[in-house]
Amino acid sequence: MALKGLDIFKLSPKKNCKECGSPTCMAFSMKVAQGAVSVDACPYFSEDAKAQLNEATAPPMKTVKVGAGENEMSLGGETVLFRHEKTFVSKTRYAVSLCSCMDDAEIDAKLAAIPKVDYERIGERMFVEMIYVNYDAASGKDKYLELVKKAAALGRVLILGCDDADVAKEAVELVKDTKPVLNGANASNYEAMNAVATGAGVVLGVQGKDINELYDTVAALEKLGNKNLLIDAGSNSIKDAFATAVQFRKAAIKDGDRTCGYPSIVRACCLAKGNAHLQAALASLFTMKYGSIVVLEQLGYAEALPLYGLRQNLFTDPQKPMKVEPGIYPLNGADENSICVTTVDFALTYFVVSGELERSGVPLNLIINDAGGLSVLTSWAAGKFSAGTIAKFFAEQDIEGKIKSRKLVIPGKVAVLKGELEAKLPGWEIIIAPNEAVQLVKFMKDLTA
Amino acid sequence: MPFTAKSGKFNAKINAVTIGTGDKAITIGGENVLPFYTFDEAIENAPKVGIEITDGGMEAEPECIQKCYEGCTSVVDMAKKAVTFDGVDFLSIRLEGGDPNGKNKSTEELIQLVNDVAAAVDVPLFVCGCKNVEKDAELLDKAAAALAGKNAVILAAKEENYKTIGASAGLAYKQVVGAESAVDINLAKQLNVLLTQLGVSGQSVVMNVGTASAGYGFEYVVSTMDRVKAAALSQSDATLQMPIVTPVASEVWNVKEAAASEADMPEWGNQEERGVDMEIETAAAVLAAGSNAVILRHPESVKTISTLVKELV
Amino acid sequence: MAKFVTIGERLSTTAPAVNKAFMERDPEPILARAKQQLDAGAVYLDVNIGPAEGYGEDLMKWAVQLLQSNFDNVPLALDTSNKKAIEAGISVYNRSKGKPIVNSADAAGRIENVDLAAANDAIVIALCNGEGIAKDNDERMAYCQTLLERGLEHGMEPTDLWFDPLFLVVKGMQDKQMEILECIKMFSDMGLNSTGGLSNNSNGMPKHIRPIMDSALVAMCMMQGLTSAIVNPNDLRLMETIKSCDVFKNNTLYADSYLEI
Repeated sequence: MALKGLDIFKLSPKKNCKECGSPTCMAFSMKVAQGAVSVDACPYFSEDAKAQLNEATAPPMKTVKVGAGENEMSLGGETVLFRHEKTFVSKTRYAVSLCSCMDDAEIDAKLAAIPKVDYERIGERMFVEMIYVNYDAASGKDKYLELVKKAAALGRVLILGCDDADVAKEAVELVKDTKPVLNGANASNYEAMNAVATGAGVVLGVQGKDINELYDTVAALEKLGNKNLLIDAGSNSIKDAFATAVQFRKAAIKDGDRTCGYPSIVRACCLAKGNAHLQAALASLFTMKYGSIVVLEQLGYAEALPLYGLRQNLFTDPQKPMKVEPGIYPLNGADENSICVTTVDFALTYFVVSGELERSGVPLNLIINDAGGLSVLTSWAAGKFSAGTIAKFFAEQDIEGKIKSRKLVIPGKVAVLKGELEAKLPGWEIIIAPNEAVQLVKFMKDLTA
Repeated sequence: MPFTAKSGKFNAKINAVTIGTGDKAITIGGENVLPFYTFDEAIENAPKVGIEITDGGMEAEPECIQKCYEGCTSVVDMAKKAVTFDGVDFLSIRLEGGDPNGKNKSTEELIQLVNDVAAAVDVPLFVCGCKNVEKDAELLDKAAAALAGKNAVILAAKEENYKTIGASAGLAYKQVVGAESAVDINLAKQLNVLLTQLGVSGQSVVMNVGTASAGYGFEYVVSTMDRVKAAALSQSDATLQMPIVTPVASEVWNVKEAAASEADMPEWGNQEERGVDMEIETAAAVLAAGSNAVILRHPESVKTISTLVKELV
Repeated sequence: MAKFVTIGERLSTTAPAVNKAFMERDPEPILARAKQQLDAGAVYLDVNIGPAEGYGEDLMKWAVQLLQSNFDNVPLALDTSNKKAIEAGISVYNRSKGKPIVNSADAAGRIENVDLAAANDAIVIALCNGEGIAKDNDERMAYCQTLLERGLEHGMEPTDLWFDPLFLVVKGMQDKQMEILECIKMFSDMGLNSTGGLSNNSNGMPKHIRPIMDSALVAMCMMQGLTSAIVNPNDLRLMETIKSCDVFKNNTLYADSYLEI
């Protein structure tokens, strides 16, 4: 976070001695803020003040890395509270929870379900990235260690939920090369847990019975030199967990409280108390505000489809359009004789248009042009969606070789392209679609009736 | 040293708008904090949850919703049943059959239905048009007249028809006017200014600033709502302090994830679960972004979102 | 960022009609001038009663209560060299629409007005001059530092000191204009608020020229980070320029009717 001259001035000696070369301490502070001169140019700036200054110029929120090799992922590192200010950098990660209190059949069923959700959406792989392995003291250490081994076999990043430092040490030992998270430091065990986590070089999750105890425990761990931490939003109530997640993020980003500047973990599975639909609502809520990891009881397609879509939307760069892969998309059982419809590769256009076309039930080949990921009118205005570029794309993709139909529907907003396209694509009948996607269902039905 | 948070409460607040009459009337807005930030200041009026039916009745509903209305033979039956579901704060009737490019039902027929529904229930009412701006000008003018004295929400006045609908719903019949803009924050503000200049009280305007299903350009919805709340609260912009109402149902049940049958997408599993989760997750997200009321369709979604709101406020 | 704060300057004892109304405690001319300025978009109103020795306390109380009771507790700048009159005004001031502004302190004889503002949780206009106008920006910033330190010592929020670089008249000091603009940038870089009697630049120019010069200058100043100005709100061109600059600075959200609100 950039410091204002005023913040530096407050720490300055205010002597106006001119020894630094500036006429006043105020002018000096301004130059330091601009980066034009180092604070060391002042002979009277106290060490304590310099330390405060260094602290204040550090990033507001730590970036924490978990997982190893191709599983490595970054959490945190955010600099803003709202996506319109600047891009969010680390997307929310989802974990499914297992517990050593479960019987073998239940564990096997859950482990079998986890890999089922695995698909691609606009170039991003959507799958369960983490597994939360919870320790139940009553079921014993051995069962827990077995469970950790079993879960590790799935090749996802593990979060070891365990507040018994001795058990945690053995569990971490089993999988430390995969860089798991150890979640379970609290006010009474943090020293021992810290030794386990730092010994194995893994991230430590911190819990507290309320926000104050949580804050104090984080501060205590920082004092021990550990800044490789995660904040557990707790399981008291939905309201408390939301308050913790939001207040910690706000204090870190807005008020510069470094003790709050860590990624968070939200155990929605505990908060939902067995209500699967409520859990889905919580997953969405904490993706919005401000969960770095959200732990769920289960994550099937029903929960995943909207959730991963939401996440993909929220964590896009506001400056960079989302693109889909250009090419031929046969819809509603289309074959080479089906009519062609074309539009641009802007993801939102693609989703809206393809959704309406699917609802029409008419078999067709949707041809997505390479238009730089811009919307129809924007790409047309930029010369990226013209008769020339469409004809070129048709040649490159060998559309005429792959499709026998010679009917092409173009977006209503670029109706002006009709004449030119007929000239550039001889033999094709160019048909103009309506201006709005919602009118496509009726239009396609009428067209092929 | 305990955690000390700086309070995030603002000097400005969202307008508190009352909808409906009598014991069942609801009030939305009134908060001076960001959505659900009760740690900054208590939120007096929790966001409200409505259930939507359409003039199309049973046959317009997906199968999984039809079964919740088992035994109903008319739209009025459905309305009576809808208001009995857990968590329902208000009823929304969407007159989509009025669309000239669709069923093109007559205004008289639809207004008769509005009258019948209004007579059958005592919860606050929202009336949504068919989205065709010319037809809506006529339809919503008549709906506002038919519901005189009910303090209903008329959705929606748009840039093209705000004069007719604002004059009718806002001035002549004293309903609450819904101002609709599609993820265009400057237009959202402009519509509010225009309605106020027409003479409609800012205290009887709610906004629909646009919506989308999770995954379908939803980032625009989030940023629009974030910026509306920032202008309203941190810049004290009185022209954006109207509560936000978001119709979620009419978006989510059309997207592939909710609409595709299990036969078409076997790996996706049960269609009802997909539809309900799409509705729930989209609703939770628009509430987190700042909606003061959401309109949903599946009773299970209504119940879940109502529970979520109660947990948070 | 917050919207630009305009302080209406038209209630000044230097205008004979206002002076007469103040002396006779005649509400009508005062209220008419106040309404005109508020309708034109003024945020604060400056109440300049002159030195008002002997009767200042009574007059300031009267003026504050008159204006606040008629215009929904409109926020005011209390403008007089009479400290007791300022204190008296604050004693009856309602702060629901904004803190009172003490107009003004400087780094020399009037520095105690900073203490006065601090003691009363008020904003103070801090003129960056000492005995006479500062010769360059080094000197202005030295005064700025003196005033800021004084405020901080007395427990003020730094943002409650609104620094005035002292605008200079173009006819005669044209070569110094860019220095003032640079000074505003320095205030802004420091995270400080600023204000000033911007129309001083066009003193002595023909009447039809002044709005053009004032508008051009306010736009340049807002670009540099000026957060407030003491202005004539009846100058439509100036007020429209300020509203437009507030849009560019993202201080207010644009709507087609932005000039009407």
